[in-house]
Amino acid sequence: MAETVISCNKKSINELLKKHTVINNIRKYPALYIMVLPGLVFFILFKYVPILGSVIAFEDYNIFKGIFESELVGLKHFIRFFNYQDFWRVVKNTVIIGSYKLLFGFPAPIILAVLINEVKNKYFKKTVQTIFYVPHFFSWVIIAGLTFTFLSLDGMVNQIIEYFGAEPVLFMQQKEMFRPLVVLTHLWRNTGWGTIVLMAALSSIDPQVYESAKIDGASRIRTIFSVTIPLLMPTVTVLFLLNLGRFLDLGFEHVYNLLTPMTYSVGDIIDTYVYRIGIIDGQYSFSTAIGMFQSIIGFIMVICANKLAKKYTDAGGLW
Amino acid sequence: MSSKTQDRLIDIIIYMFLAILAFIMLVPLLNVVSTSLSHGTAVDRGEIYIFPIEPTLASWSYIFKENRMWRSLFITISTTFIGVVNSLFLTSLTAYPLAKKEFKIGKVMMVTIVFTMIFRAPMIPYFLTLRSLGLYDSIFVLILPHAISAYNLIIMRTFFKQLPDELEEAAKIEGCGYFQMLFRIVIPNSKAVLATLGLFYAVAQWNQFLHPILFIKSSKMFPLQLLLRQMVDGTEEIDMVDIVMTTMVYNEQTVKAAAVIFAMLPIMMVYPFIQRYFVKGAMLGSVKG
Repeated sequence: MAETVISCNKKSINELLKKHTVINNIRKYPALYIMVLPGLVFFILFKYVPILGSVIAFEDYNIFKGIFESELVGLKHFIRFFNYQDFWRVVKNTVIIGSYKLLFGFPAPIILAVLINEVKNKYFKKTVQTIFYVPHFFSWVIIAGLTFTFLSLDGMVNQIIEYFGAEPVLFMQQKEMFRPLVVLTHLWRNTGWGTIVLMAALSSIDPQVYESAKIDGASRIRTIFSVTIPLLMPTVTVLFLLNLGRFLDLGFEHVYNLLTPMTYSVGDIIDTYVYRIGIIDGQYSFSTAIGMFQSIIGFIMVICANKLAKKYTDAGGLW
Repeated sequence: MSSKTQDRLIDIIIYMFLAILAFIMLVPLLNVVSTSLSHGTAVDRGEIYIFPIEPTLASWSYIFKENRMWRSLFITISTTFIGVVNSLFLTSLTAYPLAKKEFKIGKVMMVTIVFTMIFRAPMIPYFLTLRSLGLYDSIFVLILPHAISAYNLIIMRTFFKQLPDELEEAAKIEGCGYFQMLFRIVIPNSKAVLATLGLFYAVAQWNQFLHPILFIKSSKMFPLQLLLRQMVDGTEEIDMVDIVMTTMVYNEQTVKAAAVIFAMLPIMMVYPFIQRYFVKGAMLGSVKG
């Protein structure tokens, strides 16, 4: 092979190279391609095959017939869920819970980071940061376990309520309580962790800016609002858009572990619903159609958020 | 009010606020720890705040005597350990070529990898795919699907890219191949990022819940989180005869509390030592890939 290449004239070699850059590249650096192979197989097997497997949303999937033999039914399942009341209920729950999480969960780390930034005492700062970060490492099962105990009938919160002469509340079974609970547990677990990126942005602010603010006679509060927060805005904008893009990702594990049959009507989100009708009831095609709908909407939202992030900030988007 | 006293006042308010907030965040934790250490009757009377009442280790000894607790702990520890080693190996193996300029399909591969971060396969086809791969009710389902996280892969690639070229130059001249360069030069110089990503993988493995609940059916393979879910869920009752015999030293509440704490203890114990790595990792993630 090498001899034939050598015997060709220069022009045709160049053409050959252009046509087969990848093949040439493989020949030249085979080791790199061998290295990447297991990773490539991983992404194909665990990420792309399931995406392709979504075609069952257009079939009446039958386990015994498999993907290729099952009958194609077009958009039947999509039309069905669009006319299905349960579907709109879970979409509504997903959107409401997502909005609450964004509304409360987004500003919380910003406020916390600005406050921590004002702390001069190193030890105090370290201690509170350690406490704020730690819940991030607990699984949702653990957090649900804590919540169930903490809010049980003879748990601490009800003791305090009774102390003030009010009736105890069955928090975990009450519809009005479910969404606030999702938000509170979200805040408990993620607020501290969310400050890390913001603290990094704050530490990159030039100390001279603060010096000159001081010389100009700006008060502490004035400095926070006229220096710290404006300089934090680019990071905040990017984070906001990324959060917005992930709006539908409420987290199956979070909601599933807090959910009880009594709170389905307000707490059932797309993920938990798909799990129940898909995995438990075995309505594979129908639940795949719903899942696909969610994936596509989510995809579009992330792409748009990223575009906006690129357009309106210097920091740019996710990629 | 002079600006100096005003500043001091603001300081006091901020310190107070943060201290109170930190305390409030600790209360649920302290409450559940205390519940696990309290006498069952005291818990029933609702006397537990943040200190144990009539302290007893009865609930803990109940937990410690449960074989399935230890079995699940063993499953979780071993899958976490094997998973982390496997993940770090595969992630660095994949990240290294992607960090090389001469690797022609690098860009295309990055796009395909980033795509998997923003387009998630729906749950059911994912379930069916893994089942057809023979991972249903198999211990490997706790390890293999977590082999590479796209997010961690990007962090590692970025890190490899930032390593100075001179590091590899000398080895290249001596005729080292890419494999030797990766394992003898690049990896030994990447201990910091390996430690950080290893911890990220470890926490994700330790806390994983979706894969166990989707795929693990035999209780002898239950990882800790799934066993805990079963206990907290209340779908099972602890042995009532036992409770009557011990005159309510422990009850459902205290045992559940002990189980919850049992599952979080290992992470709590290592947390102080590894906190700075986590923080470093979270900041690495904010750097674009």
